[in-house]
Amino acid sequence: MSETRTLPRASGLARFKGANNEGVLALVLVVLIIGMTIISPSFFSVGTFFAILRSSIVPLVFALAVLIVIISGGIDVSFAAIAIFAAYTAVKLTGSGNFDPGLIAIVLFACLIGALLGLVNGAVIARFRLSTLIVTLGTQGIFRGLLVAYIGSRYIADLPGSMSAVSTSNLISLEGGGANAYLHVLVVPVVLLCVLIALMLRRTMFGRGIYALGGDMEAARRAGFSVVRIQIALYVLAGVLAALAGVFHVILGRNANPQDLVGTELDIIAAVVLGGASIFGGRGSVLGTVLGVLLVQLINNSLILVGVPTAWQRTAVGVLLVIGVGIQAISAKRESKRVLVNDEVKE
Amino acid sequence: MAQTSNKPDLRTPGGFNAQIDNGMGAMLGRLTRDRSVVRMLVLLVAAFAFFTLLRPSIFLNPLNLENIAVSAPEIGILAIAMMLAMLTGGIDLSVVAIANFTAITITTLYAGLAAGNPGQANSLLPLILLLGLALAAVAGWFNGFLIGVIGITPILATLATMQILNGIAVVWTGGQTLYGAPESLSVIAKTTIAGVPVLFLFFLLIAVVVAVLVNVTPLGLKLQLQGANPVAARYSGIGSRGVLTSTYVTSGLLGGLAGIVFIARNPTASADYGSSYVLLVIVIAVLGGTNPAGGFATVAGVVLATLTLQVVSSGFNALRLSAYEYSIAQGVILIAVMVADQMRFRARRRKRDLQPPVPAAPETQGKS
Amino acid sequence: MTSSNPPTGQPGVPVLEVRNISKSYGGAKALEGVSLALQAGHVHCLAGENGCGKSTLIKIISGAERPDGGEIFIDGKPHPFMTPSQAIKEGIQVIYQDFSLFPNLTVAENIVLTSVVAKRSKVFSAGKNRPAAERIVKELGLTLDLDKDVERLSVADKQLTAICRALVSEARVIIMDEPTTALTHSEVARLFGIVRKLQDRGVALVFVSHKLEEALQVSQDLTILRNGIHVVSGPTTGFDRRSLIKHMTGRAVNETRLITSPQLEERPVLSVRSLSVSGAFHDVSFDLHRGEILGITGLLGSGRSEIAESLFGVLPADSGTVEVEGKTVRVRSIDDAIRAGIGYVPEDRLTQGLFLEKSIADNIIAGSVDKHRRGPVLLDSKKVSSSIRRLFDQLRIKAPNVLAPVRSLSGGNAQRVVLAKWLANQPKVLMLNGPTVGVDVGSKEEILAVLREQAGNGMGVLVISDDVPELVTVCNRVLIVRQGSVIDILEGDGVNGTAIEELMAA
Repeated sequence: MSETRTLPRASGLARFKGANNEGVLALVLVVLIIGMTIISPSFFSVGTFFAILRSSIVPLVFALAVLIVIISGGIDVSFAAIAIFAAYTAVKLTGSGNFDPGLIAIVLFACLIGALLGLVNGAVIARFRLSTLIVTLGTQGIFRGLLVAYIGSRYIADLPGSMSAVSTSNLISLEGGGANAYLHVLVVPVVLLCVLIALMLRRTMFGRGIYALGGDMEAARRAGFSVVRIQIALYVLAGVLAALAGVFHVILGRNANPQDLVGTELDIIAAVVLGGASIFGGRGSVLGTVLGVLLVQLINNSLILVGVPTAWQRTAVGVLLVIGVGIQAISAKRESKRVLVNDEVKE
Repeated sequence: MAQTSNKPDLRTPGGFNAQIDNGMGAMLGRLTRDRSVVRMLVLLVAAFAFFTLLRPSIFLNPLNLENIAVSAPEIGILAIAMMLAMLTGGIDLSVVAIANFTAITITTLYAGLAAGNPGQANSLLPLILLLGLALAAVAGWFNGFLIGVIGITPILATLATMQILNGIAVVWTGGQTLYGAPESLSVIAKTTIAGVPVLFLFFLLIAVVVAVLVNVTPLGLKLQLQGANPVAARYSGIGSRGVLTSTYVTSGLLGGLAGIVFIARNPTASADYGSSYVLLVIVIAVLGGTNPAGGFATVAGVVLATLTLQVVSSGFNALRLSAYEYSIAQGVILIAVMVADQMRFRARRRKRDLQPPVPAAPETQGKS
Repeated sequence: MTSSNPPTGQPGVPVLEVRNISKSYGGAKALEGVSLALQAGHVHCLAGENGCGKSTLIKIISGAERPDGGEIFIDGKPHPFMTPSQAIKEGIQVIYQDFSLFPNLTVAENIVLTSVVAKRSKVFSAGKNRPAAERIVKELGLTLDLDKDVERLSVADKQLTAICRALVSEARVIIMDEPTTALTHSEVARLFGIVRKLQDRGVALVFVSHKLEEALQVSQDLTILRNGIHVVSGPTTGFDRRSLIKHMTGRAVNETRLITSPQLEERPVLSVRSLSVSGAFHDVSFDLHRGEILGITGLLGSGRSEIAESLFGVLPADSGTVEVEGKTVRVRSIDDAIRAGIGYVPEDRLTQGLFLEKSIADNIIAGSVDKHRRGPVLLDSKKVSSSIRRLFDQLRIKAPNVLAPVRSLSGGNAQRVVLAKWLANQPKVLMLNGPTVGVDVGSKEEILAVLREQAGNGMGVLVISDDVPELVTVCNRVLIVRQGSVIDILEGDGVNGTAIEELMAA
């Protein structure tokens, strides 16, 4: 009823913007692609497209894990440690490639480890109601330390056959004409995961509970949600997703290195936040997250193409984060003013 | 509330006046301060005793003690910077990046000048150091701007600053380690006064200055109040812009000073130096009694926590444990301290609350 | 009033009964030996002053808090204590005073989510649940936008959403904690219509309201609490406004005006002309003189709080002028307001007014830190201590010492700390929003006495409140705000309870 009362131009724009600025993000992506094509015509090709998708595989699965934690009002910086812990341990247990229990068994085992480590996070956070950042910073140190100190510090170059077979499988291979383009097969499970998580968030009470938790924890408790159980479950799920990302990383890189991944946490968090998830909880979508990850990967890719040293990528992500979050923060200030406008006179 | 022993009776007007005349230092958050400082002292002594018993010959070796005293300052200064940010309810993930950035700036400038004219480079050294610190302050100001003016959450703002500085540093150094940091700094770092390394005295000096800033200046009081409850601070006329900007400029400056200590201790600079420090510094700040939700912190507690962690680190060395085992210990300490604080907080609240629990003040849940 | 007759007859087994409930927080007893029996088809009014234990009792019934002692019976079967989801499963629904909605979810979702949780359903379909939300909104005759996020609703619409949520499930017990604070007469009438329908259906209701007329009108049974103790229960017909107040406060009716008529100076200390904030209030003009206490009242969301917030710079005005002692001041920020000599004791004491974990001393000095400098960098500790000592004594704050954290104080003492903070600044105009909310009776009178004293010393005092007896007792004049504009200014004998209540919700 107060739709008409909001700023006149907002209503038309609002629909395009989407609940979490997905529209704006998509627009930025399109503009970027057009810009890059103008600068360097070779950019616009199936090969580039496939390359960006391939480079998004691992970050995207991580981003899903981060997304559900952020929606619930928390923040997780331990996911990379969980990922490499789970993946490396799984590979190590295959006798560094000598014994091959099959891909499914390896993946399941990694997921189990991920779930256990996630359970540690969730239990500490839910039971003692501690700052999620501080807890996961602590567990990150613990997980990583345990991995390198007690499980293995050596780089494993020989993956079990079932894993290395996947490494070289492509879903689509376009060859010839001097420009070969390969779409890696792991894109399939990633798409599947995105759809599953999106459905979970939207269509299950667990998913709605995560949003409710992020919106107002006390209200969630009063509404009968089992806050502790939801919180623990979501960190377990985040652990499983992280473990999957770890396995994918190992498969794509064709080796298992315990020093990998740690240090990339912040890029992922940046992508999720750019994708419209609110760091205060309660807001965020899978679509936005996918766009956020693609945007970061696209920019990284473009920088290389334009000849900017890869070292600038970190700075670029930082600048992107400032711009993205800055715009969110400023529009949030405006929004709070607009809410007041609705307080007007009831007819 | 066991606060009977060392204080005058506050119930009588005379006692009350005497107490309040003890000055601000005595007044501000005395209860929490005493507790965390005492706890840290006990922990420090316990850690020291533990490693002394296990490896007396190695641990009590003067060289080992000197090592602790020389390696503590850089971490301690960074931890104090982190404490300041946490005191306002924020966090500064960029302090280590700022420190490295300062170290790289100073090293590059000095090495560049020294290649042409070593004498001139040495005479310009103070200026170069100031320039490095100025850059650190600018980086801190940028954090303060993002947080205080734009309204970005501290964790994201400082994360972005960290990424930006780190990226610039990597590009600038080409990912290599730079050599040729000012030698005179190394010389100073090696001197001792009455057996105490100058670096350690420098660290204590900074601690005292920050303690004064936090406890007996208007800015310090505002900073604590801002952290305790930003909304009430706003409604009390405390301008968050000014307070947050000053805080992050100060933490940036401290980062810069830590950067100078980096190159004084070890005349090289690189973009990736101290990459494990962010976790360590947060562990120290929290262990030292800083409430990550804001409002409470003590410099003395952080100094003691720094020493404790350095003792643990050197003890781990003496026991031939690896850096990874040390990192496990850090994580365990961090979580254990938080859990212990939380349990005590709950118990205390249950005991003396006259009001129903306030839903509007959720505990430390959520992000800083 | 008697026309809405209760479904007479056998008061059989109560739907819900609590016996001898006790609960204490720390040393303080919030409830002691309280019993309450709810009959199907009856509205039970739960009355008492702020802080009497009403909210605690509601939290215990809804499973949000565990009692220390006592028993809960549902249909005669004992339940030692409940969890929120158990309570909801047993058909107990609560309309919380703070609404307890999810700001990030849509109206439709907010309405249906609780009942879906109670069904222990694993899946959620927005489409399938929408008709239920639509039905209840239609039944109540509302115009809520179901697809809008709750955080973008007005206060009144939020309250209506909370009401819809409680009504949408087939509840057997509905507890309404202050459900009408933001509603106009017509909305209240519609709500009462629904209440009657629910009664016919056999639902037991608990109605909590500080609007006594309303409570008497809608209820059949009545229970009064005072300081956590069960004072009296009985059929509503045995009570009237006068006896109700007497039981609630423990003393005879006291709605006499305790004002002095000061010799008003020609020049007002605060003069507001055509002040507007788009969407909140418009064209507000009034004068406030030294020594005067001016009340501003209206429904929740009427703009009463926004007027004060605008004058304090929280919500800078779009147009209009403000003069302090004849000088035009531009109030664009809180800093401007404080510099102009305007102070504000905010509505939400716990989050906006106090630093709960900090000491009383820190709280008192918080608003005047810069007035206690010595030199460019340091605080003047002597001056600080003397200010704190003076105010601590002047306001008779009851605490073991000034270092005690404010969290340990009672509501009345905590409010005195907020007052002390502002008095340290010596403002010319002091605005207080809900100055005695959550304050016990004794402290309430003392706080109002402090206000009179400050006015007597030449301060201009502005009291924003919907506590009608308080306004009548203490204000020289009362401004009535409705839908963002000042519709009337009551003066002298015109300041009386019925007139105020009639005007604000018209």
